[in-house]
Amino acid sequence: MVNVYEAVSANKTKSYFIVASFFVFVALVVYVLSQAFSYYLGYQPGGLGFLGLALTVSGLMSLGGYYFSDKVVLGLSGARLADRKKDFTFYTVVENLCIGTGLSKPKLYVINDSAPNAFATGRDPEHAAICATTGLLDKLSRTELEGVLAHELSHVKNYDTRLMAIVAVLVGMVALLGDWFLRMSWGGRRSSDDNKGVGGIFLVLGLVFAILSPFIAQLIQLAVSRRREFMADAGSVSITKQPDGLISALTKISQDNEPLEVANKATAHLYIINPFKEKGHGAVSWFANLFNTHPPIEERIKALKSMV
Amino acid sequence: MVIYLIIGIIVLIALWAISTYNFFVSSKTRVKASVQEIGNQLKRQIDLIPNLEESVKGYLKHEKDIFDKLTDARKAVSAAVKSGDLQKMADAGTKFASVLPGLTIAVEDNPELKGSEVVTNLMNELRDTADKVMYARRLVIDLTADYNVRRATFPSNLIAQMLNLEELPGLITPEKGEFLEVKELETKKPQIKLN
Repeated sequence: MVNVYEAVSANKTKSYFIVASFFVFVALVVYVLSQAFSYYLGYQPGGLGFLGLALTVSGLMSLGGYYFSDKVVLGLSGARLADRKKDFTFYTVVENLCIGTGLSKPKLYVINDSAPNAFATGRDPEHAAICATTGLLDKLSRTELEGVLAHELSHVKNYDTRLMAIVAVLVGMVALLGDWFLRMSWGGRRSSDDNKGVGGIFLVLGLVFAILSPFIAQLIQLAVSRRREFMADAGSVSITKQPDGLISALTKISQDNEPLEVANKATAHLYIINPFKEKGHGAVSWFANLFNTHPPIEERIKALKSMV
Repeated sequence: MVIYLIIGIIVLIALWAISTYNFFVSSKTRVKASVQEIGNQLKRQIDLIPNLEESVKGYLKHEKDIFDKLTDARKAVSAAVKSGDLQKMADAGTKFASVLPGLTIAVEDNPELKGSEVVTNLMNELRDTADKVMYARRLVIDLTADYNVRRATFPSNLIAQMLNLEELPGLITPEKGEFLEVKELETKKPQIKLN
């Protein structure tokens, strides 16, 4: 048994650890690949060199997503603004949770879809938006809805969108670097064939890293995403002080077999549960879980139940 | 080289001290603001309830009991806000929630009330306004808890001691009794069964 404050701080520590190991990994990949690049091309580019180039390209690609993520996602999902009269429970529950947390009220949107789900987006609490499907609003009671929306509000409070955007930039950068390295004209010009030894090692290492690292980076990205889900669950309980609401909401949502039509791979990590509902058991599910944006519902419920 | 290192460490410590100091000072202000927020929510209740009473009068004219309770709750809140006593204000806010059980029974007894939008609306608003006061209180509790934890734990307690900071009382609540009990009804959304 842990109390909710311990759960929140344990999750924070684990999350820092995963994020830190991610950055260490990215730094290592970048170092090895840029060494290999410079050996292959026979000169050492000044300044940040290839790292700078990859960072710029990947950064620019994600910057748009970062600043306009709310509009892009909401546009993709075909959401409409929530109304206090029409969506009384949704509107007032978020209003109340914001009173309780001291956050400013995010923009609220409703997606017309009978699959129950919800997500939060926006780069900081001032630009946040929370979106719920009509299925969620119809199927959950007020207490359950409080749990789900407090979970989303925790994502907002923890700057999860920002973190995942940064992580996405770095994953993109690693993928680009690896790709460039593999696309170099291998039979082509060589620096000087008598210069083997250390440089040669980097070339081999570079090849291995170029092939494996985009994949590993993505796995760590997913681990970060799952850890943030646990964190938001604990955050939800620390706001509402009622784990039961979120537990029964998660149970209800997971039993609903309808797939969310408007979700896609890019927005999956934002939702309260994985909109694709991939299911498996035993060893298969452990392996499948590595590729999941969300931890399995049973594990989340177990963690919630241990919080008192 | 060593000098730079020492200067670097001193700068880090200074930055930490400043941010800790700022945390304590801003927390105090936030707690004050959050206490005012309770009053703000109670004032909202006082404005809201007469309107609600008016709108359901026609539907609930046989349920004198409920009206009396609503009026009592409203009076208690008004008196508490006027007295300016934080404790009284905090207690009065949840009174409206106590009207809900009676209302649910009234709805069960009178089939013609079931499904009436006006009554549903009343119940939703009552639950919502009680929640609002509850969350306003929660913010005071959470902020004071943060402040008191940082005040007592190392190393931020060093700054707190230097500034001679007092422990913040937060909301004083009875240690036992009805206040600590959560009734079954309070955990549920008021349900109106349609035939």
